[in-house]
Amino acid sequence: MNDSAKTLNVHGRFEGRATTGWVRYVVMVQKEVLELARSYKLLWVPLVFILLGMMQPVSTYYMPVILERAGSLPEGTVIDIPMPQGAEVLAQTLQQFGTLGVLVLVLAFMGTVSGERMSGVAAIIMVKPISPLAYIGSKWTAMLLLTWGSLTAGYLGSWYYTGLLIGEVPLIDVCRSLFVYGLWLSMVMVIALLLSTWLRSPAAAAFATFGGALVLTLLAHLFPAFLGWTPGSLSGYAYQLAASSMEDSKMLGYAVASTLVGAGVCISLSAALLSKSSTDE
Amino acid sequence: MTTLLQVMGLSKSFGAVNAVNGIHFSITEGHCAALLGPNGAGKTTTIRMIAGLLRQTAGQLIFEGKEPGGKHRELIGYLPQTPSFYNWMTGLEFVVYAGRLSGLSSAAARKNALALVERVGLAGAAKRRIGSYSGGMKQRLGLAQALTHQPKLLILDEPVSALDPLGRREVLELLHELKQETTILFSTHVLHDAEELCDDVIIMRSGQVALQGPLEEIRRKHRKLTMELQIENDAASREWLSSYIHNVQQEIDSSNLSCLFEAAEQHQVGARFTVKDSDAARRHLVEALARHQVKVTKLELGHSSLEDLFMEVVST
Repeated sequence: MNDSAKTLNVHGRFEGRATTGWVRYVVMVQKEVLELARSYKLLWVPLVFILLGMMQPVSTYYMPVILERAGSLPEGTVIDIPMPQGAEVLAQTLQQFGTLGVLVLVLAFMGTVSGERMSGVAAIIMVKPISPLAYIGSKWTAMLLLTWGSLTAGYLGSWYYTGLLIGEVPLIDVCRSLFVYGLWLSMVMVIALLLSTWLRSPAAAAFATFGGALVLTLLAHLFPAFLGWTPGSLSGYAYQLAASSMEDSKMLGYAVASTLVGAGVCISLSAALLSKSSTDE
Repeated sequence: MTTLLQVMGLSKSFGAVNAVNGIHFSITEGHCAALLGPNGAGKTTTIRMIAGLLRQTAGQLIFEGKEPGGKHRELIGYLPQTPSFYNWMTGLEFVVYAGRLSGLSSAAARKNALALVERVGLAGAAKRRIGSYSGGMKQRLGLAQALTHQPKLLILDEPVSALDPLGRREVLELLHELKQETTILFSTHVLHDAEELCDDVIIMRSGQVALQGPLEEIRRKHRKLTMELQIENDAASREWLSSYIHNVQQEIDSSNLSCLFEAAEQHQVGARFTVKDSDAARRHLVEALARHQVKVTKLELGHSSLEDLFMEVVST
């Protein structure tokens, strides 16, 4: 036995010096972020969003040139596409984030809980004095950090190029729509988290998340009068806010509130599922 | 001597299958206890319940005289059967992380982790990703992460079963040192490991405790006198042995109280007798051997081993 090992006093307990549950939660968040960095998700997910955001104004601006050079049109055709408003381009950007952006985010997080449980590392972690809620909460915090960071970077990129090429959009409209759309993505992520806790297969969790998000949006858009207060209508409100044509701000308030409540319920449900299934299997 | 953990009527059923069926035992502070039994006896289920990873169907666990709240998890260090880790972390990072989750401050977790990776012999590999570790290294890393917060009870599920002889040796030696410092409960299906390390054994069979107690006491109480006989492989000797065993067997079956033997079993060119009175039985056997001029190669008196007891307990 060497010296450094002897310095470890195994009988000296740390009672009274134990850190709080909050500190352990922060430690878990740090671990999640480190994992995102080591797996390069912290790099490529924001890059995808920035690329998507920049592509929208750029491709809109150059669309006439692209069509002309593509050469499939007869000689002498006059290409006259009306240049859209800057606000419309931003709304289209959000739609891009809603399809490809969500796809990337869900793929990045589809195994966030089930992967750790399948590999068995969850057994080592859950036996420590931490609460299931802190474990789930740390996962969600990391998801939110990446989601909001990527969305903000991509959306601001889009706003900058739209201003350069198409037309200025007031920053306050951009920020409002960013906030509302971020809430929608947060809702999608909390559904992904819940399904990743519930389902064993990451692919099934990803598929069910897309399905769930689609159903929420479709229902809210089909019955706007009845379901305008649900989280599914948030994306629609975000498009309207970008175009500064918000009609019903009261409904938006309800939708934001219902999303916050829904997210809280999903988090608690995930924590309950985790503690139940990790002690019953 | 205080009781660290008391298990009372612990049961677990999965659907209709009773994996663990109302077991009682207690673990004394500072002792090393082995949960011994064949595969499928319910060892892992029991251990997972004690670790708090599985909720019992019935029964109670009492840690230091109290029923477990959330607090008892700080007393426990747990190593699962085939531990897995975050492969993208380094060994040292994982031990630090485990310590911090157990409530250590950043500085204390780091200090303990450095000492522990050194102690389990991973100092050279501490800065490498866990993904590149061998099975034995993972087992030792698992031990280090279970020890970071200096647990009062170290629970190990089959800590050496999956290792090669060299890895086994290393982990067993480590456990030898650790048992001076903390209370250990470990499960194994290898009797030899239990004999080497433990003060107490709890032998399980199909969800129940078949036998438990201090190893020495069990050894003493259940020790039987045996006679081992070997003869040459010629027809006459073999014939005599068969008839002799037949007679002994008849005497045992008739439950004759004056019978000198308790059991007799025949191998190829020999036999093994469990006897009540070694002197009388030896005289009886030697006389018979001499009378029939049997070609004896070996006659040995001894005691039944723990292995015999284990086999008897788990197979009946």
